[in-house]
Amino acid sequence: MMLVPLHMLNSGESAEIAQLVGVPDHVQRLKELGIRAGERVEMVQPGSPCIIRLAGTRLCFRESDALGVLVKPESGS
Amino acid sequence: MVQAARSGSIDTVTIALIGNPNTGKSTLFSALCGVHQHTGNYPGVTVERKTGDFRWGDRSIELIDLPGTYSLAPRSPDEMITVDVLLGRQKGTAPPRSVLCIVDASNLERNLYLVSQVLELGLPTVVALNMMDVAAARGITIDAGELARRLRIPVVPIQANRRRGLDDLKTALASGTRGLVEHSVPAFPAPFEQAVTELASRSAAISGQEPPRFLVQRLLLDTTVYLSESGMPGINGVLANDLQQARERLATAGCAVPGVEAISRYNWVGEVLKGVVSRSNESRVTASDRIDRLLTHRYYGTAFFVATMALMFQLVYLIAEPANGLLDAAKSWLASVVGGMLAEGPLRSLLVTGVIEGVGSVLVFLPQIFVLFFCIAVLEDCGYMARAAYLMDRLMFRIGLNGKSFIPLLSSFACAIPGIMATRVIENRRDRLVTMLVAPLMSCSARMPIYSLLIATFIPERVWLRVFGLRGLVWFAAYAVGSCTAIVVAMLLKRTLLRGDTPPFVMELPSYKYPEWRVVLLRMGQRGWEFVRRAGTLILAVSILVWAAAYYPHRESDIPGEWRARHAQIQAALDDASGLSETDRAAFSEELSHLDRQIQGEYLRRSWLGMAGRGLEPFVKPLGWDWRIGCAVVASFPAREVVVATLGVIYNLGTETSDQDEQLHAALRNATWEDSGKPVFGIPVALSLIVFFALCAQCGSTLVVMRRETGSWRWPIFTFTYMTSLAYFGAFLSYQIACWCGW
Repeated sequence: MMLVPLHMLNSGESAEIAQLVGVPDHVQRLKELGIRAGERVEMVQPGSPCIIRLAGTRLCFRESDALGVLVKPESGS
Repeated sequence: MVQAARSGSIDTVTIALIGNPNTGKSTLFSALCGVHQHTGNYPGVTVERKTGDFRWGDRSIELIDLPGTYSLAPRSPDEMITVDVLLGRQKGTAPPRSVLCIVDASNLERNLYLVSQVLELGLPTVVALNMMDVAAARGITIDAGELARRLRIPVVPIQANRRRGLDDLKTALASGTRGLVEHSVPAFPAPFEQAVTELASRSAAISGQEPPRFLVQRLLLDTTVYLSESGMPGINGVLANDLQQARERLATAGCAVPGVEAISRYNWVGEVLKGVVSRSNESRVTASDRIDRLLTHRYYGTAFFVATMALMFQLVYLIAEPANGLLDAAKSWLASVVGGMLAEGPLRSLLVTGVIEGVGSVLVFLPQIFVLFFCIAVLEDCGYMARAAYLMDRLMFRIGLNGKSFIPLLSSFACAIPGIMATRVIENRRDRLVTMLVAPLMSCSARMPIYSLLIATFIPERVWLRVFGLRGLVWFAAYAVGSCTAIVVAMLLKRTLLRGDTPPFVMELPSYKYPEWRVVLLRMGQRGWEFVRRAGTLILAVSILVWAAAYYPHRESDIPGEWRARHAQIQAALDDASGLSETDRAAFSEELSHLDRQIQGEYLRRSWLGMAGRGLEPFVKPLGWDWRIGCAVVASFPAREVVVATLGVIYNLGTETSDQDEQLHAALRNATWEDSGKPVFGIPVALSLIVFFALCAQCGSTLVVMRRETGSWRWPIFTFTYMTSLAYFGAFLSYQIACWCGW
């Protein structure tokens, strides 16, 4: 399965986080917030910034050159 | 409830309350402490320090409410304070004897990340498991007993908003032990642990004391400068060079920092939670999700946002106006009572003009400030503020900032001081500075009186299409001038002095809930009181200084002899009650008050303030101002709200009448240039004054707060310079353009 950037998910689509890319400090911040490989995310409001649902919480997040999230979309959704 | 006999041997325990944002921490804090709360600031920084106390059994417990945080890795001043308090290094705060960690039961994994860091401190720890109901609604069940056994610390299920489980929690807190304990903590890979040991012993060899292991570990993990620049004794000895080498070795050993921290901690969390948490049908659409689909929608959401903001400002004016009128009347009444009790002279003048008028002119804004703080507190508590920040992020991103800058800027419409204090949630130092530097450009409530005076006096009321009034438009324009300038200045700053990447924007959107009135009212009260205290003390000092500058030297010899002679003559005629007809008496009284005003005006002209104003006239003439406006503007530099009172004094009104609107309006309309006799005021001057006040940095408190926030005078001086120059040129341009247009 191909990895795609998080913001390419459509509203309501779910995916599994595969990889965080970017400056180590920023990546660390995402992990502290619970955004980490293996977690399942659901796109609530696509765009930049986007709103995602993750482990029961909603986070808004803007991807940038310094920080991105690659996800594995769930088939069938 | 078990109340201890009030014997002498009450044992006071200091406990730190910590937790992720949006876990119900403030709710728990006020549920535990009730009204026994104190807010203040940590010395040297404007991070809010909140403590409270309660009694349980024979213990008196002092609770320190730490700012909400996801991690103990300090990345903002707020988080640095948290670390300092927990390590007992914060001045004026007792080292906590134990820690209360509040966690969100519906998101235990992420919450236990912070718990694992807290456990490493080695302090006795109690976990409060909040929002069990939310977790249950999401199909999550938690075996709290098993969790407690695994963590080997008390885990107390609570429901803070319903005040459930609080007694159990208090009992657990009160029975906590003293001293350091060995907790079950995450195991880091062996090479990492070894590197920590090496660094610790090296530091001990250099500085002569063994630093806490926790600190060395943090230092190795955190690549930001907060910790290494904190000047902690234990880490002075750890050389940047050693750190760099250790990090490089770890990277080659396959456990690069900071990544190794998240891996180790989440592994530990996974082990701890195995079998403790069970989930059924995970993906459930909640009410919050449905609301969010609408309120964060690109168009509907934005429309709702604009409507909310418009409603909020409407409410501020709606409630503030009658309340202001009442306070104003109370102020005049007090002034006349005090004025009537004292004889003419410096003391009366000081009390009436200096103290009552000066401080009163600030207290008059309290209603609108409270209303605005109330609205902001409601929006924060119900969860909408985070959505507003999300919506504004698109705009902020174009400026070079992010959505988190929005809330401080919004607060600045009430007052720049809480606005600047609210910037502490912004992690990036440059963004924080930019937000702080433009916050004073937002039209704060202290600008309202001068706008209101000038608009009511000089802008004719015209209405188009029944809705759009000219006065309303000028009001709007006054606010827009400041906001638009702020956008331009922020963009320029981000492209020049404070250049840097736009940092990533990640923010949690809490679930919507009904605002808790207790929390809202407390927050409004605390912030409002903070404003009164901060502004009140400074304004009192400024008012007295301005009064003195406008009163002294007060030499009688400055007044022309014939005026004084005539004054004495009329006074004598009036005192001699016999032989005067009613009409003569009225004419004399009239002339006497006219003379009084002339004499007052002459005293002012000859006062230090008047001399300064006349000296400034060549500089302010291009803006259309005469020396008297110059005086009023100079006097309002420490606190801009003084200007209306000063204008009243300056335009020969005498002190007691300065707040009687109609009279001041008339006086301004009738004011003439001393040399040519042409009217001073007109639409061009009114516009130039409005633009000047919209842009100028006339607030000593703001600059002082900025100094405390940034740690140097550099940024306040910069702000003062840029804003004042902008104000001067803005006023110049608007005057010249308005004249050219023939208004």
